[in-house]
Amino acid sequence: MGCAIMRKQWLVLVMVLLAFWLIVSEGVDLQHIVVGLALALFTVWFWRDLIDRLPAWPHWQDLVLFGHIVLTVIRFVIQSNIAVAKTILLGSPPVGPVFVVMRPPIESNWGRVLLANCITITPGTVTIDVDPETGQFIVHSLTAEAAAGLFDWQVVQEISNLESWKQRRAKHGVAVSGSHGPDSGRALAGDLRPDGH
Amino acid sequence: MIRILANICFAGSFVAFALSTLGLFRLPDPYTRLHGLGMGDTLGVGLAGLGLFLLSPTAALRIKLVVILVLFWLINPTMSHLVAKAGLIHGVHPVDGTRLIKG
Repeated sequence: MGCAIMRKQWLVLVMVLLAFWLIVSEGVDLQHIVVGLALALFTVWFWRDLIDRLPAWPHWQDLVLFGHIVLTVIRFVIQSNIAVAKTILLGSPPVGPVFVVMRPPIESNWGRVLLANCITITPGTVTIDVDPETGQFIVHSLTAEAAAGLFDWQVVQEISNLESWKQRRAKHGVAVSGSHGPDSGRALAGDLRPDGH
Repeated sequence: MIRILANICFAGSFVAFALSTLGLFRLPDPYTRLHGLGMGDTLGVGLAGLGLFLLSPTAALRIKLVVILVLFWLINPTMSHLVAKAGLIHGVHPVDGTRLIKG
């Protein structure tokens, strides 16, 4: 059972990598396919130790929630770009750098990484450090307004919602199609181990 | 019409990059300059990518552009984070008046 799942994960990974290779290649011909297949097989073999840490195949509702997060972040990126442009050009709001130390209500490592990325991709705030043990974020903010907005940021709430949805689904043991092993519940809930990747 | 939209995107991208470069000179310390550069890396690259997307003749080229943009938006925040963290670890002092808020 375990071996069959591993083989399936190998195959899926090789296919995904080959598809990525072909997308970024100049054309789809025998040479590109052979080289891409060889590289995909080598890459999956090289990182074989990480196979059992792969997350489960996402449920469609995960993708809907994730898409909502992406749209919200895009909206904030545009708003923040305008705010930073005003600060640079007009000095309003004025430059008032702030180091913010906060602990958002997110428990999983993937959620923290996602939030850190969202914070940094939004101009005006840069995540400097995330403590994987305590979940404490250190964020540098360009203005006091941007710093104040971090504490009740909508994206934090949305990532928290996605996280609790995945945990609820894992708790109820809902099986979804895809590459699930005996510990798919853990994978669905997100990697909560302190040393998780 | 598509060409006009693409040109508007390129113009917006140019403005974002120009402001980003201006920020590099006007902002007071390395940490704040990262915020200025973030404008070029997000809106600047995004608008340039959108303009190129509109002008792309084939679907394959459009998919490649989307892949490039997604990778860029994953790599760029990681690099900004690393620069800021390296600065803090190696004792780069923030500008006077920088505050600390604990939430």
